[in-house]
Amino acid sequence: MKTALAAVLCASVAWAQAPADAGVDEVPANAGPSLADELDVAAGVSPTSTPVAPAPTANPVLRAFQSLNPDLSVVLDATGGLAGAPSYSLSGDDPELRGGPAEHPAGFTVQEAEIGIQAVVDPYFRGDLFLTIPNLQGLEVEEGYVTSTSLPADLQVKAGIFRSALGRQNGQHLHGQDFTRRPLLNEAYLGADGLRAPGLQVSWLVPTPFFLQLTGEAFSVGAPEDTAHLSTFGGGRRVDLAYTAELKTFVPVTDTVSVYGGLDAATGVTPGVTDADGVLHRAGARTFLEGFDLYVKYKPLNVAGGFFSLAWTTELFVRQVLGPEVLDDTLVDGGLYSQLVAQVSRRVFLGLRQDFLGLPSSALQARVQRTSFSATFAFSEFARLRAHVERETTATDGLGFFSGPPVWGAYLQLEVSYGAHGAHPF
Amino acid sequence: MHRLCLLAAALLGLSAHAAEPLKVVTTIETFADLARSVGGDKVEVQTLSHGYQDPHFVEAKPNLMVVLNRADLLVRVGLDLEIGWLPPLVLGSRNERIARGQPGDLDTSTLVEPLDVPTTKVDRSQGDIHPLGNPHFWLPPVNAVRIAKGIAERLGQLRPDDKDYFQQRFAAFVADLKQRAVKWDAAAKSLAGVKVVTYHRSWSYVTRWLKLDEQGYVENKPGIPPSPDHLAQLITSMRANKVSKVLVEDFYNRSIAEDVAAKAGATLVAAPSDVGARPDIKTYPQLVDALLTALTK
Repeated sequence: MKTALAAVLCASVAWAQAPADAGVDEVPANAGPSLADELDVAAGVSPTSTPVAPAPTANPVLRAFQSLNPDLSVVLDATGGLAGAPSYSLSGDDPELRGGPAEHPAGFTVQEAEIGIQAVVDPYFRGDLFLTIPNLQGLEVEEGYVTSTSLPADLQVKAGIFRSALGRQNGQHLHGQDFTRRPLLNEAYLGADGLRAPGLQVSWLVPTPFFLQLTGEAFSVGAPEDTAHLSTFGGGRRVDLAYTAELKTFVPVTDTVSVYGGLDAATGVTPGVTDADGVLHRAGARTFLEGFDLYVKYKPLNVAGGFFSLAWTTELFVRQVLGPEVLDDTLVDGGLYSQLVAQVSRRVFLGLRQDFLGLPSSALQARVQRTSFSATFAFSEFARLRAHVERETTATDGLGFFSGPPVWGAYLQLEVSYGAHGAHPF
Repeated sequence: MHRLCLLAAALLGLSAHAAEPLKVVTTIETFADLARSVGGDKVEVQTLSHGYQDPHFVEAKPNLMVVLNRADLLVRVGLDLEIGWLPPLVLGSRNERIARGQPGDLDTSTLVEPLDVPTTKVDRSQGDIHPLGNPHFWLPPVNAVRIAKGIAERLGQLRPDDKDYFQQRFAAFVADLKQRAVKWDAAAKSLAGVKVVTYHRSWSYVTRWLKLDEQGYVENKPGIPPSPDHLAQLITSMRANKVSKVLVEDFYNRSIAEDVAAKAGATLVAAPSDVGARPDIKTYPQLVDALLTALTK
């Protein structure tokens, strides 16, 4: 009794400060049950207790959510732009504007229309299918795979056609990119569509106190449409698979700073490269790719103090091509990109990226560099407008990276996402 | 003799396993405190987000997969609150014990009566809405008791030998809240009818509990920055209706809410909405105390 009286007195001292007149209408005296009684009901100990919650599935709108149909989503990138000359290379989901090799590409395109169909299959698998129409040219299966959900020993298997976990940007869809165009090394070392092909992936969450994941993949990579640049994968016989291995770790340095990095290796067979005279070189040669990727992010855990965040990504690949014309004639070249993306306000993101190919350069890989700037305005979580400006040079006769004639390009990209699109990994 | 030793070792191993605390992972800190309250020393609790984070926008950092990988029980909010970050973490954790519908997966939204459930078809023109209902339900004590009860029952299901222990701790938790209920009732009484505008539509359960008169929202479309037109209308309406408080969670940027409150002649109330929102809020009762203090100040 004393306790209750003291509590009431304390309450009147602590909380009797509420303004009696400001913004308060006349409220009838609280004649309902006391909170203590309500707690008894909620706890199920009161003789007057009633069932806790009405079943929400009585609502016809909610019943619709209980259908076993997969989640459907669409991501659409409508892009317009202008470039001074054709770029050194185009990735499959780069905007392909009207214009031939001798013209200035210009105009509009639908850079990509992606349809996502995702669902849990059964207690053992989930399925993800992403159909894509890049630049309005044909319907492709960008990814279509099943992922195991209940293997022992912290193993996970993915089978179907999917993007390799090699590096960082390769695994991301176009709408995961911070720029309108993919980095140069994507087309140069992984393929026009990146390294994505029918295959099998096995990954293991290593039982350590921190995140450490080991992934191995095997792919049947198809031959590329053209051999103007040397492709790392896609040559040889049907049984010549491409193999990859990735070791990824994540370190939460502080609550606000995260480091996510990986070591990457791959091997395959090249379909070769055609020279100016139409002669095919290096067809069937064994290729090796080694690299690393690093993603460092500063992002406060909430926006009470402002919206600023900063993400730095760097990715590097070095390639060896062994023979086959002269077995000891190993060709080595490589490329990298490094980018900074800053969120400067609730809706505005600014990005700067520097690409290098030919680091080191080789007889088949010229020195190419591209500097890109992007400014993105996010209308909401589901729509954004991006301006992308770039300057690209291709060195001639072994000169420095910035020595060639500059090629300018500018793009405006409107990207929208609708439907139930699955959440993306970090 | 050798066999006897092996048998003894096996029995010791089994008993050690049985005594090992259940690993509970929660998506928000309030649930972590509730799990500790009813689980006592028979649970080991970790949370995926902090109380000073916006639970809509937790980043799916890979280290959280490691936490989930070892979980016996995942306690989540549900109603799609965590849809933007939890599914890839659960998939990456490779832990089928916490897969949807398994005994190790507790969707707490099934334990409470959801508010703001759309009765007609909704779309994203209305903002980043929750089609299944408002998921910000854990603050009122009645709901906290329902959630704690659900956790205690689920723990008992996972560890039947300790079922009575969890029920006893749950009863003690309820008794503790009932002691505090007297002063919480007094505070609620002083707040009944107070006209408020909230920043995000996330206080529906609190306003119903405290009988606050919710007059509008700074974000008229959830997740979308409000337009100047909306803010002008809101301020005019607040002045006309004598709205006295603008309520905003600690983790939001307060600049717009501050501006609205100043222009409408109202008080900005920055309030905690989760355990851990501030360093001195370490338990659920402390959270309710802090919330009521902020509202009645």
